[in-house]
Amino acid sequence: MDKLGITWIELLEQALSFSFVLFVLWKLAYRPIFNMLEARKEKIAEGVANADKIKVELAKTEAARQKILAEAGDLANKIIAEARAAAARVQEVETQKAVTAAEQILIKAREAAAQERAATLAALKREVGRLVVQTSMTVTGKMLSPVDQNRLAEETQKQIA
Amino acid sequence: MKISKLALREARQLFRSCLVNDILDEVRVRQAVDLLVDQQPRGYVEILTRLHRLVKLDVAKRTVRVDNAVATTPAQMASLQASLEKHYGAGLAISYGVNPALIGGLRIQVGSDLYDGTVKTRLEKLQQSF
Repeated sequence: MDKLGITWIELLEQALSFSFVLFVLWKLAYRPIFNMLEARKEKIAEGVANADKIKVELAKTEAARQKILAEAGDLANKIIAEARAAAARVQEVETQKAVTAAEQILIKAREAAAQERAATLAALKREVGRLVVQTSMTVTGKMLSPVDQNRLAEETQKQIA
Repeated sequence: MKISKLALREARQLFRSCLVNDILDEVRVRQAVDLLVDQQPRGYVEILTRLHRLVKLDVAKRTVRVDNAVATTPAQMASLQASLEKHYGAGLAISYGVNPALIGGLRIQVGSDLYDGTVKTRLEKLQQSF
């Protein structure tokens, strides 16, 4: 020790001063820094935990959203199916109504056509009859001989008997 | 005008008394009317009204109208008269007419009876059948 120039007193002093400095540094510098680091570490851990929580919540929310979406999809599909069924029923009913109305129109049209045809035929028949009778009236008087006149008179006379 | 049953009965009796062989005698009718007017029995107006109606009906019943498309020959007239008197009895007042519009045949009206054998009527029926 002596050869190295180190004395116990100096060493002790140095040790004391080093301890003192170390103490002061520990008290005033290291300790707040460690505290701060510890606090930050806790905060980071808390943040990580929060992030995990958020992830879990997010996953739950996503699952809930997916479930709601699925339910909404199912409901929408159901509503669409019901609407389609209702529309099909309405369409069927309306089609039936339209078919019935069309049939009625056809029947009426046929009846009207038949009536019109019958009326036309009757009018034609009357007109032909009128012309025949008119012609006969014009011609018959000229064609009847005295013998025919006598025969006609006798026919009438026979009605009395 | 409402006529009582009594007046109706008396008018009928009076009318029957005016018939001679089921033929209404004009002279008797005149006498009956004159008698009623002179004596004026109860309800004589009603009796006269009813008698007038009965006479009118009898005259109408015995009035014959014969329409022909051509002039009726005397032979036809005689034959017609015989037929009519056979069916309706004697005392018919027959009048004859010519109507070319009938075309042919006879139209005989005796009171409310009608015998129509004219060509015109036949053609009209034919026209109606159309």
